[in-house]
Amino acid sequence: MSSSAVSLYLDPQIRDWVLFPITLVMILVGVLRHYVVLLLQSSPKKLPRAAIREQRALARSQILRATSANSPIPPSYYRSISNRLSAAFEAGTYLKDGPPQGDGPSAPPNPMTDPAAMDGMMAGMKTQMVMMVPQMVIMGWINFFFQGFVLIKLPFPLTLGFKSMLQRGIETPDMDVRWVSSLSWYFLNFFGLNGLYRLILGNDNSAVDTSQAMMASPFAAGTNQPGQPQDYVKLFKAEKDNLAFAEGLYSWMGDDVETRLLRKYGKLRSV
Amino acid sequence: MSASLPSALQTLANYRIHNTRASHEVVEKGKVLLNSNGTSRLGDDAWAFLEQLALAAIDVANYEIADECLRRLATKFPESPRVDVLSGIRMEATQPPEVALKFYNELLQTDSSNAAIYKRRISVLLRMGKIERAVTELSEYLDTFYSDVEGWVELAELYSSCNQYTSATQALSHALLLAPQNPFYVLQFAETAYTADDVPLAMKMFMLALDIMDRNVSEESIPTGVSVRAWYGVKLCCRALTERTCSSASDTPLPQNLDLLDELSTERVLTAYSVVGKDFDSSRELVLSWMGPSDRTGGRPRFIH
Repeated sequence: MSSSAVSLYLDPQIRDWVLFPITLVMILVGVLRHYVVLLLQSSPKKLPRAAIREQRALARSQILRATSANSPIPPSYYRSISNRLSAAFEAGTYLKDGPPQGDGPSAPPNPMTDPAAMDGMMAGMKTQMVMMVPQMVIMGWINFFFQGFVLIKLPFPLTLGFKSMLQRGIETPDMDVRWVSSLSWYFLNFFGLNGLYRLILGNDNSAVDTSQAMMASPFAAGTNQPGQPQDYVKLFKAEKDNLAFAEGLYSWMGDDVETRLLRKYGKLRSV
Repeated sequence: MSASLPSALQTLANYRIHNTRASHEVVEKGKVLLNSNGTSRLGDDAWAFLEQLALAAIDVANYEIADECLRRLATKFPESPRVDVLSGIRMEATQPPEVALKFYNELLQTDSSNAAIYKRRISVLLRMGKIERAVTELSEYLDTFYSDVEGWVELAELYSSCNQYTSATQALSHALLLAPQNPFYVLQFAETAYTADDVPLAMKMFMLALDIMDRNVSEESIPTGVSVRAWYGVKLCCRALTERTCSSASDTPLPQNLDLLDELSTERVLTAYSVVGKDFDSSRELVLSWMGPSDRTGGRPRFIH
């Protein structure tokens, strides 16, 4: 086994002209990508007041519900706020475009027709393109020029299971697993450079973020973009039910506060 | 001067963090910094410093420095909403409020999401004495930017200043929802309810404030600060409840064990004044005479000034 491992000699030129360039190119592309993403990021768009109101209406009832089991406010106040909110949700007072007219089917808004939603989608697409295209180009470059190259020998032994990971692109059944092929070196770099990017670019850089998103699932990123339009009509309906539940849970902190105080100061025997 | 520069910077940064309004000192220290071109050494902190200095300079009517800061900020951040607010404040300082109002209105027309400008506009309206319009605007503002606790407290104070105590308690109840851990708001709610003559509710809220404040305090300790005030409140409510029949607009039930609560609150208030010291003697006399059963018929002190 050891004799066969020694029998393979790597040209130092491979180290100088293949191994180092691949690593260097990948690092530089990562840095470049970070700055390109920064360039492409448009400043967050300003929402008109009505839209902010619509967005935050849900937060209002969430704040009310958050403390409902131990509410700081007395029952009559709680009920008046709760009733007012649920009436407003019912009537659609908080909707951006005012209460819905007529009884047309409340279809979810088509993102293609709403220019604001389009912008959000385009921004997401652009970022994704910046992340995908360079990786594809580098992979093509490696595949075209260095296909089947053995680049490096790991200084530690590995089991046979790593063969598919370390020797992608070389179809040899017998070669020692410690030899790493060019394509595998690319993947090792691709997943392993995050720490380096963090050192170079700081913690919240887009080079790391994008490759992590890619690691999770390359195509899932498009499905839940933050700019996705939400159907507030439905959300408000659901929130109304939540309010009703919360009202069932409601209890005032002041209900037995005198007993608590008296017990604390020893005026009442604790039970 | 250069030796004390770091310490001056440190103090200024500290003021920024804690929102201290020590305008005179800020201007004194900032003037040196501004003249010695120390801002270039501050890096990105320079802009926060310039904003702080501008505000402080407007505060002490040193408009030259304020204008210099504003000029630098405006060249660095054109069209920044924050600089807009600052120049609005500068405008309020020397020009009639109508001009400032017009400026704010124009800003809001281009960008209707700038919360700070709404607040400035409301404060200008208040300064002009248009309380009614200010209240309307503030309610509209809070309808959009619900989570602004200070806005709700301000609204409550505005209502109180117009003797609308029930509306004030309603505004305060929103502040309570947003900051349920803050005993000061609970106390304010209690005092407002007391003034609105909803004694049972006030009593409950005074006790709630005490419950929050004294959570980490042992029962032997001497009440201090706001908790003395809250114990006074409990005592007052007890007295009112035993003397007359109190109605409650919010249908709050009367607390049980009223006599025990009366006893406890008397004890706690007296404990607060049990500290021996020459300043305390006269006040203790006063408290003792007020607490004494002979003075049961004393008028109800009002909490809201």
